[in-house]
Amino acid sequence: MSESPLNSPNGAMVPFTPVILKHIHEAGSHTLDHYVARGGYETARTNVGKTEPGSLVKLVEESGLRGRGGAGFPTGKKWSFLAKGTGKPAYLTVNGDESEPGTFKDRHIVEKDPHQLLEGVILTCWAIQSHHAFIYLRGEFILGYERLEAAVREAKARGFIGKKIFDTDFDLKVVVMRGAGAYICGEETGMLSSIEGGRGYPKIKPPFPAVSGVFQCPTIVNNVETIACVSHIVKNGAAWHKQWGTEKSPGFKIFCLSGAVKKPGVYEVPLGITMKEFIEVYGGGMIEGRTLKAVIPGGLSAPLLTPEMVEKCTLDYESLAGLGSMLGSGGITVLHDQVDLMSAIYNTMRFYHHESCGQCTPCREGTGWLEKLAHKFHEGHAHEGDVDLLGDVARNMRGRTICVLADAAAMPMQSYLQLFRGEFEKRVHEPAYTERKRTARDEITPAAKRDTVTQGGPDVLSVGMGMDRI
Amino acid sequence: MTLRQAQGPARTLSTEYLQRFHDMVDDYPNKRSMLMMTLRLIEEEFGCIDDAGMEIAADLCGVSTAHVQGMVTFYTHFKRPAHGKHRFMVCATLMCALDGNTSQALKQIESKLGITPGQSTADGLFSCEKVECLADCDKPPVVQKDFEHFCSMKGKTLDDYIDSLLKRENKSVADYQGKAGIEMDLRVSVLPSHYNFAGETEVGARHFENKDPYFQPGEAPRTTTVPPPLKTPLTAPVVDGMNLNGADHV
Repeated sequence: MSESPLNSPNGAMVPFTPVILKHIHEAGSHTLDHYVARGGYETARTNVGKTEPGSLVKLVEESGLRGRGGAGFPTGKKWSFLAKGTGKPAYLTVNGDESEPGTFKDRHIVEKDPHQLLEGVILTCWAIQSHHAFIYLRGEFILGYERLEAAVREAKARGFIGKKIFDTDFDLKVVVMRGAGAYICGEETGMLSSIEGGRGYPKIKPPFPAVSGVFQCPTIVNNVETIACVSHIVKNGAAWHKQWGTEKSPGFKIFCLSGAVKKPGVYEVPLGITMKEFIEVYGGGMIEGRTLKAVIPGGLSAPLLTPEMVEKCTLDYESLAGLGSMLGSGGITVLHDQVDLMSAIYNTMRFYHHESCGQCTPCREGTGWLEKLAHKFHEGHAHEGDVDLLGDVARNMRGRTICVLADAAAMPMQSYLQLFRGEFEKRVHEPAYTERKRTARDEITPAAKRDTVTQGGPDVLSVGMGMDRI
Repeated sequence: MTLRQAQGPARTLSTEYLQRFHDMVDDYPNKRSMLMMTLRLIEEEFGCIDDAGMEIAADLCGVSTAHVQGMVTFYTHFKRPAHGKHRFMVCATLMCALDGNTSQALKQIESKLGITPGQSTADGLFSCEKVECLADCDKPPVVQKDFEHFCSMKGKTLDDYIDSLLKRENKSVADYQGKAGIEMDLRVSVLPSHYNFAGETEVGARHFENKDPYFQPGEAPRTTTVPPPLKTPLTAPVVDGMNLNGADHV
């Protein structure tokens, strides 16, 4: 990865080289020896048992580090909310259930530099005075789990984790857990339910995890990338972190680029660079012969950006929020001009219907409705009122559920409707689609049989959303 | 072969795996929270999580079998008896599905093994399913075969890989040509195997007692057998269409 001169908040150009992903291409980067040889665990050694925990929380708060999992909540502030004096142990849970489609950054950290994450865990645990950390990886990260497990064993053997770490009086247990293929466990309280040994059902907030989280104890939930940042911030200071990025989104972030670009992959860049530069310089531009149709900027649940919006978009939390979208987890997917958006939205809705945990009715039923309606547009047998119905269902899902999965499903649907309404309407009126469907159905249901059904009473075939009413 | 027959006789966790369970005890504040990892141990030892496995997990973690069934059906990544010995999971989420990558991979699997998503081959060796995002979106299509992860799995790479698996199993593509796959039944039995139809057990309703057959931290692991299935056949078929019928349940 090359250096990129960029604008810092004060207008000066600060060169940037990757921090978290710096060593992932080196052989053996996942081993303890490699990590120690490049100065690893020194920050933890000099701080654990020596630095005042409160000053570490303050340092992270000053650095402006924001949660990298999707919501972008200031990390230091979250730590400072941790309930104290409850008489219960505090827990740190690291969210490695990276299941937002389009995001694959935590995979690289866990597989290629697990000790960096562990050092962050040690420092965070010291800062929040927790003696027990869980790292929850998604079940599909098989290599990642093996490497992280091995890393924990190596660190234990050296006395970096376990009883009296770094020869201080501080004990720390780090447990690596595996999920088993549930998107909802990426939601913080869903993950806590899963750690507790149940289905990954999100819990209602408040109480927030910082007050009553896993096992009803005060809990801090952070993303893998956020925790990986911590050791660098503690080592280099808040001002070092703030030299990149914008005023409200300081620092750097890993972005995952996929879709119709020449060089998809993970790129660590300072926040605040333009989306256009990111796609053109880092992604190598669009693949040959295709033009840009839309960009999904922050994982599948982020509202779309049109080419005009991409022109003025910068990669920071505020710019994307201003454009009605979100930075989310940093999974950028580029859609080219030949992508059928109706297929894309159907695929998206199918995903959310599949992954809805089923606790709240608006989400369980709403995602099903959206999927079935989107399927009608995908198949080309939607009716006049279906476009409005889509908007109606999506609007009624938002903000009415325990967790934000319903919002995550409704947001892309609303943005597709807002930005590409014409494509939906085109699919309603397209006679070719209707004709093709009619022919297909006539082959399955002979005309005579269908007639008897219609004569016998109300057209039962037309009842139910999946059926077409031709 | 029915689900029940495929599961074979009742089993118990081996001493090695019980030891691994005991090694985890210190890491968790309570037994229930060990359930996810216990299910992984059972999956690793038995190759899949069947009814006997669920009962062992329930015993080890001090929860009801119904709770374990709820877990196993909620989390889709656990391997179940209905899945093939070689279980293909093809990512079908947008980033992989763009430009037809997913359907290309599925088509190749179908042409070699004759199975569509949701099916397994009649001999139970291979199965194929569509799954949601596997988090490697820059290299589509992403495919997992059991616990192996593959990127850019299409064209010759995928074909060669399937061929290598076929060779390992002493099979050829011709064995699967023209044969329809069978739909996978991922439902669980309504009742634990040692319950009879009247809702009584031959060995006592141990699931609702607060007993610890395995869990004694610091003690040497003990092996306990899962109670054998009922000897008397069920007298009435289950009407709601679940996978229990009298003959299967003997």
